Amino acid sequence: MESDLPAMLDRMAPGAWELYRKTAETRESDVSARNRADLWRREEGWAARWWARGLRFACGSEAGRLAEAVAQASALPAAEEPAPRLPSAVAVRPESAAPIEPPPDLFERLGSLVAEKSRGEAVLASLALRRGRAIEDLSNAAGLTVRTESRRLDGVARAVGRRGSRGCEARAVFRWDTDPELDGVAARLADGATFPLAPRGLSFPRGSLLLDPAVGAALLAAVAPLFSMERIPRWVKRSDLAARGVTVVDDASADAPVDGEGTPTRRVVLVEEGAFVARLHDLRSAARAGVPPTGHGVRPSFLTPPQAGPRRLFVETARGVAALELLGRVARGAFARAVTAPLSVDLERDRYEIEFTGVAVLAGRAREPIAGARASGRISELLHRIAAVGTDRQFFPMPYPVGAPTVLVEKVSFE
Amino acid sequence: MEFDEIQVSRWLDPLVLERGDIADVFVERRRRTVVLWRDGEAAEPRVSLEAGTSARLRRAGRERLAYVSGADDGALREAIRGLQASAGRAPLPLRTPSPRPESVPESTADRWVRRLPAILARHLPRHQLRWTLDEVMRRVVPSGHPAATAVRRLFSLEGTFVAASKRGDESRSFSFHAPDADSTVDELKQALTAAIAPRESPLPHGAGTTDVLFSSGTASVLFHEILSHALEADAEESPLSRLTAARVSASELEVRDDPTRLDLFGAYERDDEASKPRPVKLLDSGRLGGKLTDRAHAGAGASTGHGRRAGPADPPLPRGSNTVVSAGAATTEEMTRRLGNGLWIDEIESGTVELSSGQFRLRYPRARRVRRGRLADEVGPGLLAGEILPALAAVEPVIGREVRACRSLAWCSRGGQVVAVGGAAPDVIVRRLSVRDR
Repeated sequence: MESDLPAMLDRMAPGAWELYRKTAETRESDVSARNRADLWRREEGWAARWWARGLRFACGSEAGRLAEAVAQASALPAAEEPAPRLPSAVAVRPESAAPIEPPPDLFERLGSLVAEKSRGEAVLASLALRRGRAIEDLSNAAGLTVRTESRRLDGVARAVGRRGSRGCEARAVFRWDTDPELDGVAARLADGATFPLAPRGLSFPRGSLLLDPAVGAALLAAVAPLFSMERIPRWVKRSDLAARGVTVVDDASADAPVDGEGTPTRRVVLVEEGAFVARLHDLRSAARAGVPPTGHGVRPSFLTPPQAGPRRLFVETARGVAALELLGRVARGAFARAVTAPLSVDLERDRYEIEFTGVAVLAGRAREPIAGARASGRISELLHRIAAVGTDRQFFPMPYPVGAPTVLVEKVSFE
Repeated sequence: MEFDEIQVSRWLDPLVLERGDIADVFVERRRRTVVLWRDGEAAEPRVSLEAGTSARLRRAGRERLAYVSGADDGALREAIRGLQASAGRAPLPLRTPSPRPESVPESTADRWVRRLPAILARHLPRHQLRWTLDEVMRRVVPSGHPAATAVRRLFSLEGTFVAASKRGDESRSFSFHAPDADSTVDELKQALTAAIAPRESPLPHGAGTTDVLFSSGTASVLFHEILSHALEADAEESPLSRLTAARVSASELEVRDDPTRLDLFGAYERDDEASKPRPVKLLDSGRLGGKLTDRAHAGAGASTGHGRRAGPADPPLPRGSNTVVSAGAATTEEMTRRLGNGLWIDEIESGTVELSSGQFRLRYPRARRVRRGRLADEVGPGLLAGEILPALAAVEPVIGREVRACRSLAWCSRGGQVVAVGGAAPDVIVRRLSVRDR
């Protein structure tokens, strides 16, 4: 059946099809104080996309099922859409046969660190760790044959802080490309679970806002759709999107040689010294815009067709300053350590809202924890008021890697 | 799905060593058809045919699960082998699977694809909507219990459309989720008619505290967040976990979680552990009722039939299904009068709850202000917030008499696991909720 699929697609859409297969093996441990789950998964997924009087997409968990899904999708109506020019490189990487080991058992170590950093006010409630390997094969009507392999160790931890009858929960999502880094995760959990229990909120309505790398990354991920939108909102001025010191780049070269459509990965500078200089394109959006694809056809799963989006997005820190120096520049403001609700960003209406917990800062020194505060206003103003970025960039899974350092924003309105 | 259940039991039974051990095999086939509709024209049709098999063993708080793509003999044997290896048992010998005929129910997708253009052209000619038909067949073979098969067809239509308002054209959101049944077309037409009704454009309303009348079944979203989640048997941090049978709300209020209401989105005839579900009173005359349990959290009693999985790759968790509020006696006019001044909400986009702090939030796209018992200007979009126990205590002891299904309540995510949920409720007033623009 596997070998029949290209011929079948070629009959339906000569020169205008692609075929994708993903096989993955993961081992996951999900541990809490009372329970433990050990999960082993071996997944396979097939997907096909073809242009035959319009674009169609089908997927299935086996080759036979994909053939059946292709037949069913062919019978459905589709608006006319010309096929884009498909990439044709051939790059096959050897497949590693090393077995996937279970993830390390880190619950007790992380639990001790959370208790220590929170002075006993927070406990680790659960830790889910996942180690896995995925092999992706892509071929198309233009002769492309490519295989990529990726490995990862990632997870999510949850801590609960208690003070008297009050409680609060914090979550930390992380991905480790090298050895587990527990200190940082424990500190984020301890602060996120105990700061909201502070007796007071922020007492002033306006000031500087220092964003922790985790909050900065969440903000960057929230505005990232701007980089792949077909119709840019009216408030965006291409020559002047952000402050002069801001440079934003997408570069997934180290992760995979090609994107989810087979276009070679390359570094794309999106915002250079504050100017919006480039956009991210997959094959379809590039064809519509009449430009070459940038290698940003993203395929989060075999169940969804690829679409334009970031792959490894980050703020450049070559001209950054030390985080401690940024703190010293704050006359009156807040250090946003963790978000307490998902960031709200309305790109059309040019509005943002960050609900955070953190520490009040006066005269360059951290003072007392603030239970919660809300910074809101126009995204355009926020981007222009970035006074400096730090050098301490960290990456967070959003779910693609997003990297941000400590960021100092001035003249922010608080509630 | 056509495998030898006696053979499966023979493989699972040796893994069950003690009373309380749970072992089962779970197989799912899912067909999902998606069509994007843009101003009456179909675009980018997508068909997905997924199948997966998992084998699971739970003993003394430790869960083991092995999952393999596919739903044939080979996938079944491999899932069992993975589980046996994980449990330290000698795995089954490898054997080439023998193909078996598959019985897959006919899809109703074609029928919908033919009907929808005319329905949309008549009601919402300018739209960007995503139509999804999920057809799911699940089979569970538990050790020591009878096997069960369940089939569900779920219809969803959501997106935006252009409607006329006094300030000109405006973009409004639309969200309709219902089980695919004979009555779905008529109900969809009613929902589309209501959605396109002329309304003023909403304006910001500021922040503060307000009384709220939850209309058009939206009270089910509130109680899904503050009762259903808070009474899931594994919700150890819930503020309700140690308040068994305590009076927490008006004695006129009765809320139950009812998976047997097959007309609602979250229903099922068997849960994902093959248990027969039963309605659970979450709030009985204002007193806290029972918890929602799966087999692992049932304690001395039997499972209430709320063991639910997002898919075959996930272990079951105790989860809510349909949140149903019993009718009272008041008419809509009486309820509006009773509210006095406040907000009348007939659409809720989404809700969240954090059990450790007891705080919940509900997002709404628009609402009507009520002044002196009369509907006034349109406001929104906004955010309602509150705490579970104070909100329950602030429910007005007069309940509306007409129970309506809430067709925007559909998918609930907890820890990344998404299950179908639904709800139905009469008009309910809750006093003193925090409100602000968003």
